[in-house]
Amino acid sequence: MTDPTPRLLSGLAASLPIAAGYFPIAFSFGVAATRSGLTGTEAFALSLIIYAGASQFLALALITSGAPLLVSAFTLIAMNLRHVLYGPALMKEAGEKATTRAAWLWAFGLTDEVFGQAIGALARGQRFSESYMFGLGAGAYASWLLGTAAGAWAGGGALEAYPAVNAALGFMLPALFLSLLLSVLARAHVPVVAVAGGVTVAVTMAASPTAGILCGMIAGALTGVIRR
Amino acid sequence: MKTELLLLALAVGAANWAFRVLPVLMMRGRLRPGSLVERFLAATGPAAIATLFVAAVLPSLLPVPRDVVAMAAGTVTVVALFWMTRSVAAATLAGSMAFGAAVFLLS
Repeated sequence: MTDPTPRLLSGLAASLPIAAGYFPIAFSFGVAATRSGLTGTEAFALSLIIYAGASQFLALALITSGAPLLVSAFTLIAMNLRHVLYGPALMKEAGEKATTRAAWLWAFGLTDEVFGQAIGALARGQRFSESYMFGLGAGAYASWLLGTAAGAWAGGGALEAYPAVNAALGFMLPALFLSLLLSVLARAHVPVVAVAGGVTVAVTMAASPTAGILCGMIAGALTGVIRR
Repeated sequence: MKTELLLLALAVGAANWAFRVLPVLMMRGRLRPGSLVERFLAATGPAAIATLFVAAVLPSLLPVPRDVVAMAAGTVTVVALFWMTRSVAAATLAGSMAFGAAVFLLS
């Protein structure tokens, strides 16, 4: 038995843990951007247009180091290559009847966390709906933009005054990923999860976190191909 | 806004849009059950979530472990709450609160 088709509000509600996790990271980005010499408007524009956390922090380093535009663009684009896997994996779980009329809009919000939340919901039997995907993505995106603006214009120190709250918000995304992992975990997936985790650790230590994430995902998915 | 910064943001933003949107739009037709692509995509979700969880906790564990007790408290709370409620949101919020409380009590 599957749930009724979820709507926009269900998506917004499901985005709350993501939004709570995004806010402090975006806040930190806003603070770091203005400390790097960007205006508040420029910091906000980076979040609005790029909308990818690690890329934005690296962009600050590249901008302040005076790296050439093409080198910076290529580096930042390569960091997000893993996202090409998310759409097909999501639509495979959504089924052949799933519509994609508004995908040009909602799929821009398909970040790591939004993908995880969406695929977890489908794995638990929820039906796919573009309204739900829009709500899920919009809540996360709004939090990212609000956090950036707050950090850029309020400045650092606001969250540091509340270390317990700051720490709790900092653990929000690891807690979300662990919950999602528990929600999709089945006996058949144990080798996939073990290989993905092991490769991520090994490649992160040997090369970089970006390479670790990409290699971990691909190695885990390939394990799923070999296993059956 | 500086022109070079705007150009950089637009180039990276356009690539992100393409990486996220185009694969969704290009995913047409039914995959043959049991095919290599179908198996690869079925395993991509769990693999991605496992990878992202590891990547999220790794900075706290390497090179020197930090907040180990708080992390243990948060992790145990997430597992326990998920086991009891089967709710991703409840487990996530409770785990984060347990982590924050542990940091506060140990500071």
